[in-house]
Amino acid sequence: MVPCIQASDVTLTFRPKDREAVTAINGLTLEVARGEFVSIVGPSGCGKSTFLNVLLGLLKPDRGEIQLNGKRISGPGEDRAMVFQEFGLLPWRTVLANVELGLELKGVAADTRRKRARELIELVGLTAFENHYPHELSGGMKQRVGLARALVTEPEVLLMDEPFAALDAQTRDLMQTELLQIWDRAKKTVIFVTHSIEEAAYLSDRVVIMSARPGRIKEVLRIDLPRPREYEMRLSPGFNEIKSRIWSTLKEELVTRIGGDGAQR
Amino acid sequence: MALRDRYYEHQRPILGTVSVIGFFLLWEWQLTSVVTVDPFFLTQPSKIAAAAKELFLGGAIWQDLAVSSKAFLWGFSAAIIVGIPTGVFMGWRRRAEYTLDPFFTALYASPLVALAPLLIIIFGVGLTGKVVLVFLLAVFPFIFNAFAGVKSTDRLLVNVVRSFGGKEKDIYWKVILPSILPYMVAGARIAIGRGIVGIIVGEFYAASEGIGFAISRFGDTYRLPEMFATILVLMILAVVFTEGLRKLENVLAPWKIGQEAR
Repeated sequence: MVPCIQASDVTLTFRPKDREAVTAINGLTLEVARGEFVSIVGPSGCGKSTFLNVLLGLLKPDRGEIQLNGKRISGPGEDRAMVFQEFGLLPWRTVLANVELGLELKGVAADTRRKRARELIELVGLTAFENHYPHELSGGMKQRVGLARALVTEPEVLLMDEPFAALDAQTRDLMQTELLQIWDRAKKTVIFVTHSIEEAAYLSDRVVIMSARPGRIKEVLRIDLPRPREYEMRLSPGFNEIKSRIWSTLKEELVTRIGGDGAQR
Repeated sequence: MALRDRYYEHQRPILGTVSVIGFFLLWEWQLTSVVTVDPFFLTQPSKIAAAAKELFLGGAIWQDLAVSSKAFLWGFSAAIIVGIPTGVFMGWRRRAEYTLDPFFTALYASPLVALAPLLIIIFGVGLTGKVVLVFLLAVFPFIFNAFAGVKSTDRLLVNVVRSFGGKEKDIYWKVILPSILPYMVAGARIAIGRGIVGIIVGEFYAASEGIGFAISRFGDTYRLPEMFATILVLMILAVVFTEGLRKLENVLAPWKIGQEAR
């Protein structure tokens, strides 16, 4: 069977004017099955977000390619949608109008898209707030809007770029559990970038650990914890063992990075 | 106590009103008693009020206002129609910015009213010359504010619209235009002041009617209460316009209110 996502030898170098070129990702190869939940962790600047933007179609790799269902990604498409770390809600639009955005850009008729947007707003529990503006919402609510907006076009792949990083710890825990429930029902393929080892271990089928820049895959770890996963599962010894395995792999990279930085000075 | 609480609740309007009334009272009373300035030059609020009443009831000022407003509205509308797209284009296209910026910066910084005599020579006495002068003065705040608005547009939002398949046109309409709207209102507030200067100066130089002509004629004929009354009308109009724009901003950009409050 063709994997849902097939990234082969993806390499991307940023060449900013009047600064040194930076190779963000180098020879990244990864396959993701349909309906799989894959997290990517790695040191800051290892190219995790860059990889997501290539997947989204906003960046083009210098070498290699990513295929989605056997077709090469060459730009944004409605089979993918992103949930952004800083929410990226349009401040002049109400919750409803924000969620409608994707359908509006596809040219869906107003009443159809309104109906569809309302369904998603209900799914994330914001029906009472559909006429509110983003500045009237808490961080957690904003990201629910972000999630609803991404799901409204029924993408096959959901890309999440540290979606809960800007939230407080409790809201974050809550959103993780809700995301799992939604994922369980919607059966999307999810690529989830995070800094949190715990988050990656709790949510994912597999955790991809990336090396320090230039980013390549260091290790891929399968998380064989039963689903559905409840919050309490995080207290089990098995969960902690997984966390410490991810940590020990990641630690080497953090040390390399800090050492590398030190050597340059 | 209740009275004091009520005072603190409305401190701003109370103090504002008291200071304005106090100013006029001082003006009225001081000139007749203490200060030795010839009251002829500064006249008195009571005489200005009487003159204003006469101007409005006699109907002379309406004609002048109508003439000046027409030139103002034409010039101002042209400034909006030309200024906003130019500024947006400059903000979004780097080459346009680099090419146009030297001219616009120089023109914005220079006292363009100095061109008034030239414009009168080119366009003659009448509507066109004034319209062009108002346009020249009012267009730059729109250009530069639109430009600044585009530059401050959140790149993340542009990427969001792109990621959902939005095209260039969608980015203009759904991200850039709403982003620059508050900048446009700020630009309009500056442009109104400059536009009024354009009208007045234009009518000082060469005109046979209009508010600027009225002011200069009253001055020439030493009818200072009438002159002050006309200036006062202009001041009030300018305040009404700029305050009206502030209100309009709250209606057009309700999301801004919350952002500023935080």
